Amino acid sequence: MTLAVILKQVPDVVEELAIDPSGTDLDRDSVSYVVNEFDEHALEEALLLREATGEDVVVVGVDTTGELDQALYTALAKGAQRAVKLVGDVEGSWLSTRALAGLLAPVIRELSPRLVLTGVQAPDDLDGQLAPTLGALLDWPHTGVVVGTELADGLVRVRKELWGGIMLDLELATPAVLGIQAARATPRYVPVGRVRQAMRESTIEEVEVETPVESAPKLSRLRAPEAAGRAEMLTGSPSDVVERILEILRARGLY
Amino acid sequence: MAERILVLAEQLEGQLTDVTLELIGVARRLAAPRGSTVDALVLGEGVSALAATVPADRTLLMEHPALRLFNPEAAQRALEAVARETSPWLVLVPNTSLGMDVAAAVATRLGWPLVAYCQAIEERDGQLVATSQLFGGKILADCPVGTDHAVISVLAGAFSSEAAAPEPPARIERLAPPAELDGLRVRAVGLERPEAADVDITRAEKIVAVGRGIESKENLELAEELAEGLGAVVAASRPLVDAGWLPRSRQVGKSGLKVKPRLYLALGISGAPEHLEGMRDAELIIAVNTDPKAPIFDVAHYGVVADLFEVAEALQERLGG
Amino acid sequence: MLTTPERIAFLLLALASLLLTLRGVRLIVRAIGRGYGRPSWGVFLRRVIPVSLDILLQRPIFRTRPLVSLLHAGVFFAFVFYGLVNVLDLLEGFNGYSTLHASGVASAYNLVADLLSVAALLGMLGLLLRRFGLRPFRFNRAVFLLPSVRFGISRDSAIVGGFILLHVGSRWAGQAVRIAESGRPDWSQPTASLLARLLGGLDAATLAVASHATWWLALGLILVFLPYFPYSKHIHLFMAPLNLILREEKPLGRLEPPVGNGQLGSARLEELRWYQILDAYACIMCNRCQDVCPAHGTGRALSPAALEINKRYYLNRNLNRFAGGTTSPPLLETATSRAAVWSCTTCGACVRICPVGNRPMLDLIDLRRSLVFAGDELDPNLQAALESLSRYGNSFGKPARQRARWARDLPFPVKDARKEPVEYLWFVGDFASFDPRMQENTKTVAQLFHQAGVDFGILYEDEWNSGNDVRRVGEEGLFELLAEHNLAVLGKARFRAIVTTDPHSYNALRNEYSALGLDVPVYHYTEVLAELLERGQLRPSKRLQAVATYHDPCYLGRYNRITAAPRRVIRALGLELREMPRHGENTYCCGAGGGQIWMDSGGQERPSEQRIREAIALGEDVRFFVVACPKDMAMYSDAVKTTGYEQRLTVIDVARLVAWATGLIELEREAAPVSE
Repeated sequence: MTLAVILKQVPDVVEELAIDPSGTDLDRDSVSYVVNEFDEHALEEALLLREATGEDVVVVGVDTTGELDQALYTALAKGAQRAVKLVGDVEGSWLSTRALAGLLAPVIRELSPRLVLTGVQAPDDLDGQLAPTLGALLDWPHTGVVVGTELADGLVRVRKELWGGIMLDLELATPAVLGIQAARATPRYVPVGRVRQAMRESTIEEVEVETPVESAPKLSRLRAPEAAGRAEMLTGSPSDVVERILEILRARGLY
Repeated sequence: MAERILVLAEQLEGQLTDVTLELIGVARRLAAPRGSTVDALVLGEGVSALAATVPADRTLLMEHPALRLFNPEAAQRALEAVARETSPWLVLVPNTSLGMDVAAAVATRLGWPLVAYCQAIEERDGQLVATSQLFGGKILADCPVGTDHAVISVLAGAFSSEAAAPEPPARIERLAPPAELDGLRVRAVGLERPEAADVDITRAEKIVAVGRGIESKENLELAEELAEGLGAVVAASRPLVDAGWLPRSRQVGKSGLKVKPRLYLALGISGAPEHLEGMRDAELIIAVNTDPKAPIFDVAHYGVVADLFEVAEALQERLGG
Repeated sequence: MLTTPERIAFLLLALASLLLTLRGVRLIVRAIGRGYGRPSWGVFLRRVIPVSLDILLQRPIFRTRPLVSLLHAGVFFAFVFYGLVNVLDLLEGFNGYSTLHASGVASAYNLVADLLSVAALLGMLGLLLRRFGLRPFRFNRAVFLLPSVRFGISRDSAIVGGFILLHVGSRWAGQAVRIAESGRPDWSQPTASLLARLLGGLDAATLAVASHATWWLALGLILVFLPYFPYSKHIHLFMAPLNLILREEKPLGRLEPPVGNGQLGSARLEELRWYQILDAYACIMCNRCQDVCPAHGTGRALSPAALEINKRYYLNRNLNRFAGGTTSPPLLETATSRAAVWSCTTCGACVRICPVGNRPMLDLIDLRRSLVFAGDELDPNLQAALESLSRYGNSFGKPARQRARWARDLPFPVKDARKEPVEYLWFVGDFASFDPRMQENTKTVAQLFHQAGVDFGILYEDEWNSGNDVRRVGEEGLFELLAEHNLAVLGKARFRAIVTTDPHSYNALRNEYSALGLDVPVYHYTEVLAELLERGQLRPSKRLQAVATYHDPCYLGRYNRITAAPRRVIRALGLELREMPRHGENTYCCGAGGGQIWMDSGGQERPSEQRIREAIALGEDVRFFVVACPKDMAMYSDAVKTTGYEQRLTVIDVARLVAWATGLIELEREAAPVSE
């Protein structure tokens, strides 16, 4: 049996993000891509499950960036057994979650994994998270904000985080789709040498997919958050700033 | 004109969450000019007393053993059935750990559009626009919302809960659970509440909160010293708690705790939306961060673009001296 | 003269002893041969004479501990001369040849043998007294030791010391007996003659027995000792010179790629290089490396000595099997611990101090390489740094585009060396570029270059971390990635020389990149500043009247021997320079190197704090702790606060002092020195 992990590359929010003149997308030329941080956790959780039960891990992604190979090889170097890349006329486009799930669903069904793991959310999933969307399309049980998993006979036990440290324990019949918030361990480091080795020794399976008709999320415009309501900025040397802070605190009886 | 707005009321063990009131408040605001009515769907078991406190025009109460604890599949089936039945033009679901499991799935199954991470809903040129927070809060997306069915999942804390008049519902209607609830593939096993914490940050008057900018565990000492000097407690954003540097009980934000202190000194916190959700109501927010574009400055009252260590050390010197 | 049975017995014993010894030596040679690579005979031929001279002069030993080295020299010279003594004594035993009461050359020989015997005895007694009385062997509690080591070291020391005392003592006593037998003192053997006077009362028969007994104790003992020799630390007397001679003349700052396709690294003894196995045999267990190790000095689990000693004891106990080719257990079970491996700052002090030319640091780096490549769990901070480095080219998790942000605040544009030719390409370094505390220094350097009319430019976001420390934490693939990028960018830029503000980058550019094809002069900014001051391109308008001490960065002072330039700058400003005991090539590490800056230290005290105390001990009047490395600036700014000497000592970059002297900046918070 296999565990499918869906990896998605998203704009790196550490970098400055610029909006395309059209106003409805980022300036994709200046964007640099990283694997969605939560997807890294999904992969780690799958690898931990593999270590416990010996399942094969298959990483799956839709190549919207032209750079997905790097992410897939990295996953292979970390310990995944197979990598499947969905290719089509989608490079450089912003796929809505529903379009993405629509492309993935038949491929996932074909893989017939015990579990599908992906990140709980992504920085750009404007029309909702992938796990519940894909779960609904496949009509498989699903849940998100998962912080721990354990495979058992015909089911998966998951720990879901609510808020304030409250945890909810669930059992889902497999196959199921999980949105991972955090793996049980920090996603492992993979040395560059191993990635290069994977590039030499492994192959990525490619699946040709049809471009969905309506692929982009529906929106009228993107904008940077307004400056209004912004903080009053304190400037000067650290000691000047500290003086001002203390004044403010004193005025409110906080110091 | 469609008539109804449906709000998924969120409850846990018979307790209505704040975000439910926030959602009902928004729903009321949107309903008034359109002549819509606000339905609140309460799911659970043995929660009729709770249903009677939900300030909606109509409270739809569905009870079933599978709904006792939160069960994503049961909640999804229930909401889907009710949405089909009542055909609201707008469904509001909280963008919380619970709501996230339901909103996208129900929207997908119904084929209705969904706007997630919504932080504002406004009328603009006769068009309803939902504004969504994307890319770690660095970019906002304005999405037109039609009157022909839509689902919006709303960030907790984005709206005031006061707009929901504290009056009981006009009427309570009990709904029969759909048949699917008897053959679920998901079972809720139990809840686990965190152990009593050494410090209750939700009660603290002053908080020194640290984020990724603190760089290493050793540097937490500086925050501790500073907190001591200010009579504050130390809290943190998620990455530090994930790294095991501080216990969960110190985590502020969506998956952590919501705090409302008189002073929130944010050091090296860029202000991911999940974090802002937990602290934006603080009375006084002072943020120190090296990135002038950090979203934390959008909610802070005072901001300093500087290395947190320089400021913290200078402050510590003044407090210590 | 020996009796015939004695002669036969000696010859039989000699045969058995030699056979046993030979077997031991052969096993050792095969054990060393299991390592990767082979010694180069070219190197041997080139180095045999100069290095032998060095050893004869005892230069590697006299680097430190002068008194102990003197004791060693006594034993050493005696040993060398005893090569001749033993041959002549053998002759005496077998055919009666004697130099007793001889004149001419023979009497000179007698005199030297006599005096050296006493020197050896005194030296050995002194060394034994030190080892067993004054300064016994001690390791930090956290240091991993094989169970056999703790007792083994003392026993081996006792056996070797006892052998030398008995061997030399018996020979010396034997001469005295023979002098007594002759009935008159031999003035070419003054000390033996003195001893002979004490024996004057003995009768002839007793003396005859004593003569035989001492002969056997002196020479027979060698035969008994010889088979033990390959298992004792005494074998250093062959292995150490061999180690020193066969060592290739390569800069310490240039690492070899990991063994095993340049990736795997070394997890087991046989995965080390041949010379790393030889190191274990060359080690005399003097612990000098441990004394200078900043990790051990701060209570951590690392002792470079223990590493070599463990290797040796593992080999001693398993020599047959290991030489025979069986797979050995991981070094982390036999030689050292994970904690130790990750404590190394790669400061190179152990390598520099080792009198027998060992390089335990290389083992630690090779072990790191194997751990990293095998996916062993990393310190979370280190992992974050590596991830950031592979994503952004810096360890700060900042977008590459922010690298040159500091340059925006300057009143003049900084040239883009990717777009126009410059004389100096300034490789700024990560810390100097991104750390907000260091950016002031960086701006100051830029302003000084500008003021002096230096034609310089930077690579903006195309400068990536040089990879010096990345290579030393064992992430070879990432080092390659960073180096390939930087080399490609440098290859496209036009410039005469590289100048860098960071000693770690300096080392990578100068030693590592040159092995990858970079062929341009590389300067540290202190070298450029010294020249600008001396040529008058920078003119101090005031002389600084204060006492300063200077901390040599490991990668500048020890690795690359740049010790004069920063001192020239300091003196040119009028400052009085007072040296700390550990300076120049013997500098002490700040604790940040080898990737430690990215790890939780976990030591009792930081090396940087010890260093600040060392500076404080120089006297009340020392005002400035001058540094020339951004990491040092970070480490010592912290340390001066944590030690509470912030008011007394100001940590300052050398460039800031120059800028103050030339009137470029005011030193407000930094307690400006008095000017004339």
